[in-house]
Amino acid sequence: MAPRLLQNFNGSRALVVTNQAGAVEALEITLAKLGVSVGYPAIVEGRAQLDLTELNPESDIVFIDGDLDGVLAMEVEEVSRQPLVPVIGLVGVEAPSRLKNLINLGATAFLRKPVHGAAVYTALFLGINQFLLRGDLKARLEGMERRRRGRRAVIKAIVDLMHHAGIDDDEAYDRLRRESMRRRQGLEEYCEEYLVRRAEAPERPASARDLYLRVDRK
Amino acid sequence: MASKHYRVGVMFSTDGPYSVVAGSMVNGALLAFREAWAMAGISLEPVVVNPGGNLARYASLTQELLDSGIRHVVGCYTSSSRKEVIPYFEKYDALLWYPSHYEGFESSNNVVYTGAAPNQHVLPLVDHLLRHVGSRAYCVGSNYIWAWENVRIFREAITARGGQVLAERYFPIGDTEFDQSIDAILAERPDVVFNNLIGNSAYAFFRRFRAACKAAGIDQPRQIPVASCTLSEPELEEIGAEAVDGHLTSSVYFSSLDLPANRVFTRAYEAAFPNGPATSADAEASYNAVKLLLGALQRAGTDEVAAVKEAAVHQRLQAPQGDVWLDPSTLHAYLTPRIGRSTAQARYDVLMEEGAPVKPDPYLVQSSPRYAVSPRSPNLRVVK
Repeated sequence: MAPRLLQNFNGSRALVVTNQAGAVEALEITLAKLGVSVGYPAIVEGRAQLDLTELNPESDIVFIDGDLDGVLAMEVEEVSRQPLVPVIGLVGVEAPSRLKNLINLGATAFLRKPVHGAAVYTALFLGINQFLLRGDLKARLEGMERRRRGRRAVIKAIVDLMHHAGIDDDEAYDRLRRESMRRRQGLEEYCEEYLVRRAEAPERPASARDLYLRVDRK
Repeated sequence: MASKHYRVGVMFSTDGPYSVVAGSMVNGALLAFREAWAMAGISLEPVVVNPGGNLARYASLTQELLDSGIRHVVGCYTSSSRKEVIPYFEKYDALLWYPSHYEGFESSNNVVYTGAAPNQHVLPLVDHLLRHVGSRAYCVGSNYIWAWENVRIFREAITARGGQVLAERYFPIGDTEFDQSIDAILAERPDVVFNNLIGNSAYAFFRRFRAACKAAGIDQPRQIPVASCTLSEPELEEIGAEAVDGHLTSSVYFSSLDLPANRVFTRAYEAAFPNGPATSADAEASYNAVKLLLGALQRAGTDEVAAVKEAAVHQRLQAPQGDVWLDPSTLHAYLTPRIGRSTAQARYDVLMEEGAPVKPDPYLVQSSPRYAVSPRSPNLRVVK
């Protein structure tokens, strides 16, 4: 499935974490033209007063000033670097360490300070859509992981069906796959359930469902 | 009190592939300057330059104008030329008064946009086509950002409402070879052709398409009408008598508008430029741009950009199309969308008009879906 592409940001909210209001004037003006409201979380003792878990990934975007060290305590998933909401970095000092911090926070787009109005739409478009894309990839990755873990059940189910139905591995695989598709289940999930059913009825050679599987279609 | 003297740049390509429209834009601007000679307190000197449709010349002429101390330039027709010169206006903190309909998705702080934004031209056209013409469209355009983006907006708007874009074809600006493409269009038999060709390419397309339809026994204006957001009266004259009538155009201005301010405007225009070209939406937008600029200069008492912008948003112009004023947040204009159908006399009959000026929405913030609309699955068929 093609990833969703967000192009109208009307009704979104930008939370701009910076202590340099003068550098982001054009950001606020341009965001207003795009229908995006702007809030500036207070920074107390170097920490932004912002609870990320209360933000809505569908409508909130965080702009973080890369020049503020540790201003935001943010949990970012290690592999996908997917933050809770889209993050756009505000770059002042262009040093590798500062840029790395923004990457670690999951930033998917950047704006140089002082922000230039003409750059805002592109940063917003890239930042939010890369966030969505990363979310889709993360979900796919998790799905693949789940299937990888289910490989053992597939192998065991094939061996079991070969043994009880007296068929070869290709035929066993085809039957399991066909039945999982008929039930609109993933193959791994179906095989896990198959093994549970088989374990529940060890004395019988095969369950009613397996009988179905054994009947060769004419 | 001594009157203040201001030099104002006027930059249009009165030579090159889209010179017909540009000629009417220069005329519109110059007419407003002439009328302003009577204004109290200021005297004005238009400095007219002609980049001849050459992108590099736009940049160098802009630099020359701004280097000479000019702070305001009324100019550009194509979006590619506008995008070429904006960096200079931003660098010099000068103001470009851009008087043409365009594809939106821009709002430079150094540009005042007096032409229509997409919610004032392409969206009303989609609405009209779906209600009165049909839902299957074939898109053609000149190969640059205007056509790409305008077709994208058209495609998303029509797809979201159950319509379909059958194909998109783009041609170099100035290209006039359309025979193969017209064969392809006739094979598809769309309900409408959405035209984003400009200048000479557009005129050649209209002529060839009408001739090809006639040869195939198709009553083109009734069976496959061509709809545009660009086609203006001087261009209808260029197309010629054989293929001039029956074209649909979405525009905020037609020279045939029966309004007191338009009667004054068209009479003054014809008196000033008896050899044509006729008035057009782009001529009117240029006239409006100069009028708004002059009013703002008078109010501000200086040509300093911030003061002029501040004064400009307080202007309310009784323009030929009706009231026109600027939206302070985007510096785009409130304008009145209309749909017209061309006549054999190279004018337009107005088929539809909004009851009041419509707020500009250059980023389609109020008028497009949150997510991009993906085209429907292709219609598959077995080919033996």
